[in-house]
Amino acid sequence: MDWMDWHGYLVPWCGVFGAAALVGYGRSLAGMTRAQRTVRVRGRIERVDEPRHGSSPEDGIGVVVSFQDPATGQEFTVTNDGERGERIRVAWTGREIGVRYPRGRPHAYRFVNDPSEGGRGLGWPTFALLLCYAGPVTVLAIDRGWPWALLGFCGPWALSGAYHLPGNIRDRNRRLDRLAAMAAVPGRFVAVLKSVTVDDDGYTSSRLVPVLAFTTLDGRAVTAYYESNLPDAAGARGLDVTIHYAPDDPAVFVLDVEAGRRSWKLDMAVNAVGLLVVATAAVVGAVKL
Amino acid sequence: MTTTTHTPPATHNTPVACARGFLTGGVVGASLAALVVGTVVENAPLFVAGLVVPTVYGLLLFLAGMPRRAREAAVVHRTALARIESLEAVRGESSDVPVRFELTVVPDDGPAFRVGTTQDINLVDLPDYRPRGVVVVEYPPDRPWRVRIVKRPTPPWEKRAASAHLEPVSATTTVAAPPEGCAFGFAVLLGLLLGAAAVVLLFRADLFGRDDSAQPPPSVPSASSSTSSTASSTTVVTSASGTVTLGAGQSFLDKGELGRAVDTLTKGGDARQALTVVVGERLLSVVFAPTGAPQTPAFDPRALPYDRFPALVDEAATALGAGSPQTWQITAERLTGSLVIRVVVTGPGGTASLEADGRGDVVRRAGTAR
Repeated sequence: MDWMDWHGYLVPWCGVFGAAALVGYGRSLAGMTRAQRTVRVRGRIERVDEPRHGSSPEDGIGVVVSFQDPATGQEFTVTNDGERGERIRVAWTGREIGVRYPRGRPHAYRFVNDPSEGGRGLGWPTFALLLCYAGPVTVLAIDRGWPWALLGFCGPWALSGAYHLPGNIRDRNRRLDRLAAMAAVPGRFVAVLKSVTVDDDGYTSSRLVPVLAFTTLDGRAVTAYYESNLPDAAGARGLDVTIHYAPDDPAVFVLDVEAGRRSWKLDMAVNAVGLLVVATAAVVGAVKL
Repeated sequence: MTTTTHTPPATHNTPVACARGFLTGGVVGASLAALVVGTVVENAPLFVAGLVVPTVYGLLLFLAGMPRRAREAAVVHRTALARIESLEAVRGESSDVPVRFELTVVPDDGPAFRVGTTQDINLVDLPDYRPRGVVVVEYPPDRPWRVRIVKRPTPPWEKRAASAHLEPVSATTTVAAPPEGCAFGFAVLLGLLLGAAAVVLLFRADLFGRDDSAQPPPSVPSASSSTSSTASSTTVVTSASGTVTLGAGQSFLDKGELGRAVDTLTKGGDARQALTVVVGERLLSVVFAPTGAPQTPAFDPRALPYDRFPALVDEAATALGAGSPQTWQITAERLTGSLVIRVVVTGPGGTASLEADGRGDVVRRAGTAR
């Protein structure tokens, strides 16, 4: 088929996604997106149930949470039964946890592990804008050659990577500092959770999640899923280990501080090399135009 | 135990639901057919339509369903105690097995009712559920058949369930979800078939007339007809007419092609007279004069100046400007007395026509630019 015909599809493509992006940004400005209309409150974990050995890890650690609806002042005591948002992987009595729900409907509550999390609902509009942008770049690359694709896609990617780089470096340094300041306490694997799934072809796959219990120096009894790789996870129950946790947030813990440090350094190296590759591709595209 | 069954009316059997099912089936069938037909006949807009139409339809359905979903989500679920009458694991291959429960739900502020539900229960937790055991359930008050066992009740309900002992209730109502209407399924199936058939029928000419040139065009039913086909052309001759269809990539403007085709149609010895001869890019059709009617204004189709035809088409096309894709048609008849050869060329620039006499000399030109 004639390539000229493809240009006919470009207009509706950009029109539809551009309009979707505009509507989304407009709604965000007007404060009408779902994220903006969501009430976010801090709940408190009142009770933690120790997971039963061999049960499913999909439901998260069973907790009883209390929170207050700021609109009515009514106090709610709820549990994480069924579809209730993010899975609770680390819990201790007194831990603050995020609770969100549509305005006026506290019974439709969902849990969020990070209480500070909240957005303006710009994800979908930005995605639509990206698709709208990808259309002309693709057509340009087809009409005028591959350097346009390199420049068009890798250029903005590299700019975004460079923009986020200082933040990433600060974040890494904070995590490394946190690793250095970790407190060590004895802990024990109290259960191993198991999830067995059978796919359509009859292939069985199982996932093992050991559960750790430890008490912090200030007396908080923490129950946590240990989802990193563990040799012989199936036989981990009853195993005593030393836990290193961040005193300001026991949800951040590792068994091996040195491995954690190496992993963060590697992560940063991968980040930097990735940015370099993308930036080089963009430059090559610009030179070859 | 006296049991009455309370089943809501089948919402799926209403005419609106059936119409929606029919439409959904039609869209699915038509889009699938459009994808296949678009690929086979290499029609890009048709293929794209096969992708865009279901997407837009799905979006519309989603938008149309938003108020209903918002209404359903706004309903505060009611919590109650329930007695397990019976339970049965449906099948067990993974660690979470679907279990069929028969429950008697005893709401605090209403009559007890029986309901059946299937829920995934972890094998490790299965011993917690026993016949005559008490569980905490929740359900939307307007759709009590959507009952769900609360595995992690709040402490007050946990305490109530642990201390409660529910006696079997003598007379209860059984609630069940509205049955899936059979008319709805039929409407979906019908829509699916009709949607697919509509697309195939609309593009049947492209689909079947392309490579399968053995498909004969309709012929006069009363007359005896003969059909012959070679790799490059198809010839159909009846007592009243004759047509020759060329294969792909050929044209009647190619040197000698027309003369050969006319010879095929008129072979058989007797010089058959023609009323009309119509020639297109790949189709030649001759309407023969009825035998035994000497007054008809017929002419000998073999006597037409076929070697002049390409030049006539070119001459007509020059009025439209060169380079534009064109279709052309030549008609020859002598209904007005003398033999007239009419050439019509159509392109993006408009339509141009000219008339020539029996020798192929141009006598009149006309052009209509758009």
